[in-house]
Amino acid sequence: MMSLLVFREQVKNFYHRYDIYIIPVVKFLFALVTIVTINKELGYDARLKTLPVVLALSLLCAFTPSAVMVLVAALLALVHVFFISPIISAVVLVFLMIIYFLYARFTPNLGYIILAIPILYYLKIPYTIPLLLGIISTPMAVVPTACGVLVYYVFQVINSAISVQVNKSVDDILQLYTNIIDNVIGNKQMIMSIVIFALMLIVVYYVRRMRVDYAFEIAIGAGALTSILGFLISDLILDKAEQILAMILGTIVSALIVFIVQFFQLTLDYSGVEHVQFEDDVYYYYVKAIPKMTVTTPQMKVKHINVKNAVRGMSKFDNRHNNDLKDSFDYDIDLDNDDDN
Amino acid sequence: MLNNDKIRLMTKLALYESKTGKEDIRLSKYYKTDYVRYQVIKSIIAATIGYVLILALIMLYKSEYLIKNAVKLDYKTIGLYVLGFYIIIVAIYGLSSIVIYSRKYDISRKKLGRYYKLLKRLEKMYSDESA
Repeated sequence: MMSLLVFREQVKNFYHRYDIYIIPVVKFLFALVTIVTINKELGYDARLKTLPVVLALSLLCAFTPSAVMVLVAALLALVHVFFISPIISAVVLVFLMIIYFLYARFTPNLGYIILAIPILYYLKIPYTIPLLLGIISTPMAVVPTACGVLVYYVFQVINSAISVQVNKSVDDILQLYTNIIDNVIGNKQMIMSIVIFALMLIVVYYVRRMRVDYAFEIAIGAGALTSILGFLISDLILDKAEQILAMILGTIVSALIVFIVQFFQLTLDYSGVEHVQFEDDVYYYYVKAIPKMTVTTPQMKVKHINVKNAVRGMSKFDNRHNNDLKDSFDYDIDLDNDDDN
Repeated sequence: MLNNDKIRLMTKLALYESKTGKEDIRLSKYYKTDYVRYQVIKSIIAATIGYVLILALIMLYKSEYLIKNAVKLDYKTIGLYVLGFYIIIVAIYGLSSIVIYSRKYDISRKKLGRYYKLLKRLEKMYSDESA
């Protein structure tokens, strides 16, 4: 545990120092995964699947705000659908516009959730999002989660509808459209998923706020358990027993991912090194402002190691007991930091 | 001569201006009522567009039925339903916008107050320097 904590401090320090380079790289990777996934699942237009286009779009997303990534992904999906059926793509556009006007424009920061859920669905780990949002957000995040699930199932239905019939006459297209709406509205699995995701988010949120040791770990576990039980019930009711294994594995992987994210506190918005420019009558100033935290953490690290040395020589049980106590103590410090942020 | 205190203060101010301050300074150009009213109008327009789009989807979905029964439909009842739901949606969006944007304005004002305090301190520093 000790070496892990030291490792965490090192990772955090590294992040503080180089966040100006790390953030674009991470965004580039996220964008790449997103675009490749969309191309794989909806890849009707071969032109968009070529490497230069994919790389150019990913690069664009790496250096622009995250809202641009959501927009690029939505446009990409639209163009793919447009290639095979312009009218269906118009319906998709209307559908996305409804989500924008009625919800997304009010919380531009949460727009990426609506994008992340479909992508993670294709990667088989959508459970990450409600677990993560329970840790870092409020129950209000239920709404974008539901929107994300809706988007995924709409594209799912459109995908299967398009692959069955591609006709051009107006009657057929109307038929296709009613078919799609029927399938979306009558999709019990979608409704179940929305309910279970909401439940997971709320469970994680309330458990992690409890004043107990290891509240975050317990919260993630409780959320994962809710997910497994909920989807088990839903899969059995809907007769989809073949999905159970993938669901359980997906939940475990999701819980692990969220646990790692929580452990390194990657989600907290640490302000890293800042560069500002200003001037007065006499000088131009180019100031590099480094948060004090990076300076104090190495001292904390040294303190930990000393404590460990001090307890060496005690009986094995006492040693472990002390370590446990110390861990919970560390934890309290972290929690206080959370509150401050 | 470099004045370290002044640099520290100016750095703080520049950091605020380049981040959250941008939005706060933009908001400070409005009176609260004007700002809230403007945002409420924007939300109501957005809600209206969203509602019209939903109606369009529903009408397209029911188009076969609508065309077949175009003559004997009870347009008055349908119209009242459409209007009723519209009023509900507009009321929800309008009222919640009032609450949310008033709070946002108050919070940004508070932050801006702190910013002005620092600015005043900087101004005092300048006048002390020149004196």
